[in-house]
Amino acid sequence: MQLAYYPGCSLQQSSKLYDVQSRRIFSELGAELVEIEDWNCCGATSAGKVDDFMAMAMPARNIGIAEGAGFTEMVIPCSACYSRTLVAQQRIKDNAALAEEINSELAAPINGSLKVSSILEALEERIASGALKDRVVHKLTGLRPVCYYGCMLTRFPYAVPVPDDVENPQGMERVLGTLKIKTIDWNHKTSCCGASASVNDPETAHNLMAEIMKDAVARGANCVVTTCPMCQMNLDAQQEAFCLKHDIETRLPVFFITEIIGAAMDLPPAELQTDRHFIDGTTLLKELEQHEEKGK
Amino acid sequence: MTAPAMAINPNQTQPFLQQVMERSGQNLTACYQCRRCAAGCSVGDETDYFTPNLLIRMVVLGDRDQALSNQLVWKCVSCYTCGTRCPNDIQTARITETLKKMAKEEHLEPLQPKVAEFHDAFVRSGLRWGRVNEMEFMGAYEMKFALRKIKTREFGAIMDEIKTQARLGMEMTRLRRMHFGFLMAKGRKEIKALQRKSKQRATH
Repeated sequence: MQLAYYPGCSLQQSSKLYDVQSRRIFSELGAELVEIEDWNCCGATSAGKVDDFMAMAMPARNIGIAEGAGFTEMVIPCSACYSRTLVAQQRIKDNAALAEEINSELAAPINGSLKVSSILEALEERIASGALKDRVVHKLTGLRPVCYYGCMLTRFPYAVPVPDDVENPQGMERVLGTLKIKTIDWNHKTSCCGASASVNDPETAHNLMAEIMKDAVARGANCVVTTCPMCQMNLDAQQEAFCLKHDIETRLPVFFITEIIGAAMDLPPAELQTDRHFIDGTTLLKELEQHEEKGK
Repeated sequence: MTAPAMAINPNQTQPFLQQVMERSGQNLTACYQCRRCAAGCSVGDETDYFTPNLLIRMVVLGDRDQALSNQLVWKCVSCYTCGTRCPNDIQTARITETLKKMAKEEHLEPLQPKVAEFHDAFVRSGLRWGRVNEMEFMGAYEMKFALRKIKTREFGAIMDEIKTQARLGMEMTRLRRMHFGFLMAKGRKEIKALQRKSKQRATH
């Protein structure tokens, strides 16, 4: 089957690995992610701070393109893109005048038939069909991840149908549970990493990330798993800096959930670009695999 | 810090409150100061005790100057925790986003200029090319920062910024996470048309 796919700007650039992994994982699970034609930037969290109308109009064009091509579901792995698109869709649905204003400028106007899915929702559909379970090769025993959702998957600036529990989401736990991975319960799964503050207000972002990291370490986690490219980049690229500043000795690899699924499916790490982390994650995955070999 | 209630001119108070309510889509008068927003605020330790409930009260009282220029408006990371937990569904992060825009329209110097420069550079890149180019928009952002610091002759700050960004850039290049191509969407024309519409709306 085919699903419309919106990669967004991040997945074409600094988080290309997430794009590569997402396409590969879904193809393994029997769903082809088809990139929609000529998509544009969703405006991310910045647009709402600069131009409210464009914050609705930018994702609207992408929704129209996907609907015009006949898709009924669009998967958006990036949490910010997902959030912006879902909010724009709902606000346009609730406001006929806004819909008319935006639609009149679009080559492919919105008709309201598209389901916007986060990567977790799309993965959970694959769990329900049994497709994910059937593809597990490695057990990854010894992996002790904390699931990190950040802000954008469950908290929205507008009343949209929230896909998971707001304060204690479980989607990632369900996906990893299907792979028989034991996740660690913790306090900071929906805390904020600071997002763009890591660039424009690093002091604040480092304070926020240090709290997240301290809890993960105290719980005995040996990695962080996330679905958000912004969270991944921040916790990975800034980890050395904020850990030094806050006297944290441990370093934890920060994986996209697709990397863990890929490792469980025995897909080659090089192909999944797992070697492109600031904090190395390939060693841990290799060790777990060797450990499993010995156990046999 | 806050203007005393007795000093408030009701004729001036109403338009500001109304403006913020309309533009943010939030019913600020529903706030009964329970401070759940304050308890959950991600940047609560960073804002000099300037909590979301305080901001709401300030807008209600019509203290425009303070409402547009305080640590919460400029440190808010839009994590949306306050609004998610509010018993009256007031999304204060939408209020800080609205106040950021109003401060810009009034040509006020932002308390955290880098925050305003960042979001401007980001959205400008997205609108101009149809897609955001990380290197291009980061370049534009750093340029704005450098020009501002040249004016105040803070050359050390410029050097520190360049060093930090260069270090990150080199590390990203080594890890092949730097993208050297250029992204564009052909549908930029549609986006430009929508942008014109947005400007028309703002002037009406």
